[in-house]
Amino acid sequence: MQTHQRFSPSSLLVVVLRYGILIGCTAIIGYPVLWMVLQSFKSTSEMYANLWGLPHALLLENYARAVQMGMTGYIVNSTVVAVGTVACILVGASLAAYAFSKFDFVGSRALFLMFIFTLIVPMQAMIIPLYTVLVSLHLTNTYLVLILPYAASGLPISIFLLRAFFDTIPHELEEAARIDGCSDFDAFWRVVLPISGPGLAAVAILQFVNAWNELVLALVAIRNPNLRTIPLGLQIFISDQVEWGPVFASLSMATIPVIIVYVLMQRHFIRGLTAGAIKG
Amino acid sequence: MARPARLQPYFWLLPALTLFCVFRLYPLLFGLFLSLHKWDGMAPMAFVGLANFREALFEDSLFWLSLSHNAIYAIGTVIGKNVLALALAVILNAELRGRAFFRTTLFMPVVMSLVVVGILWSWIYNYQFGLLNNLLQRIGLGNFQAAWLGSTHLSLYSLIIVDIWKFFGYHMVIYLAGLQAIPPVLYEAAVIDGAAAWRQFWHVTVPMLRAIMVVNVTIALMGAFNVFDLVYVMTRGGPNNSTNVVVLESYQQAFEFYKLGYGAAISIVLMLIVIALSLAQIRLMRGGRAEEYN
Repeated sequence: MQTHQRFSPSSLLVVVLRYGILIGCTAIIGYPVLWMVLQSFKSTSEMYANLWGLPHALLLENYARAVQMGMTGYIVNSTVVAVGTVACILVGASLAAYAFSKFDFVGSRALFLMFIFTLIVPMQAMIIPLYTVLVSLHLTNTYLVLILPYAASGLPISIFLLRAFFDTIPHELEEAARIDGCSDFDAFWRVVLPISGPGLAAVAILQFVNAWNELVLALVAIRNPNLRTIPLGLQIFISDQVEWGPVFASLSMATIPVIIVYVLMQRHFIRGLTAGAIKG
Repeated sequence: MARPARLQPYFWLLPALTLFCVFRLYPLLFGLFLSLHKWDGMAPMAFVGLANFREALFEDSLFWLSLSHNAIYAIGTVIGKNVLALALAVILNAELRGRAFFRTTLFMPVVMSLVVVGILWSWIYNYQFGLLNNLLQRIGLGNFQAAWLGSTHLSLYSLIIVDIWKFFGYHMVIYLAGLQAIPPVLYEAAVIDGAAAWRQFWHVTVPMLRAIMVVNVTIALMGAFNVFDLVYVMTRGGPNNSTNVVVLESYQQAFEFYKLGYGAAISIVLMLIVIALSLAQIRLMRGGRAEEYN
């Protein structure tokens, strides 16, 4: 329907405008991220002298300094916390979502709504009482001080997403399993979970990134320097010193793994991050 | 579809429900309790009734200043994110070379940590060595160089730009999903009626995207009133409180001045404001078409 217009001047203008806006916005988004990585390979003097360009040589000194300053420890801590959070959520949310999707029981609707209601209450709004709960449970010196609250706050959206996913699985599939003598749990474990890969992946990735990036709770709950996560560690770097090479190296170390996972698993990523909004 | 069952479902719910009650529901209720008390975190709590709320609403000018910053932040980010996101979604929805590349890059900041983004942009805004002032100098706009984070007039707006930069890709992807769900027949009909591209946008795209717009505005609005990370990393509410926001204020009251009851009361006031604004906004935007959604 557009072919007859393709060469008219006005449609040429539209095409130019379209690509102009697109390339401009992409540069504004992409260049700062690229710049962050480029800066991490420059010496302090080169960082000022050669602000925009490629580094003259791939200097790894900044990375060595970042490791010295404790960046590897932060990465280990963030990994443990994020993996622990995802594990708790996958177990808790898939069981709960399956119950909401497949069983009819008293209070089903009320319990589901209770989970969903707290979606509008962000972690920031309850950080003070949450902190006192964590202190009274004596969790502050363990990874659990972050894992359990992250899991609890990630559960509602995960249950919501997985329930929608389980709803699309035809009932006949589990019926057949049950006729073969499977229990409800067997049907869930052997039939439903193995075909729920995409749903579980979307939930896992969304929650991994949330846990990896969270600052507020880490800021108030982590007192032990050995338990600091990446956001907390970075935050402390910049208040402690003004040596920018290692800071750029640390920023890159914190970001590159997430971006690689994002680029490789983009579809799951985008689905996890946006499905709640689209279905809700 | 669902099968009747008696006790079994509750066992399936047990792990999720336990976590949820201990770390989500109980703190929520405990926050209400805390807001009625004066407490420094150590000494026994003293019941003070609604005194904390009275202090926040009638005596604390900093609370109102912070709230006004959240309001400006909300106006700036909600409009900025939605206009940009919708425009780029419309562009990306057409047949286009390199579409996957553009979409991937535009969404990238969404997956980055706010702390990383905050530190990166502090550097971009740096008065002496930052990219922005350097760029202005190079293209002959040296007069517009400024202390982007150091000036009380500019700091809040500088933060708004960063927030838009970080999140508009998220809204763009939601709009894209909405656009792809519009039946092509509607556009074909519009073309037969002789509607130009601009009219198609206003009379087909916008009405069909209404529900998606409500979602995007609500998410951006809630984000703007709950903003903390960026402000904490980039300005700590300064200079001279020009970027102080309510969550930061409540954080400082609780963890720097040890007024935990007062901090909790501020959070609750904020939570009520956010809920009220979101509901009002949803009502308003759904307009006379409310019956469609029930």
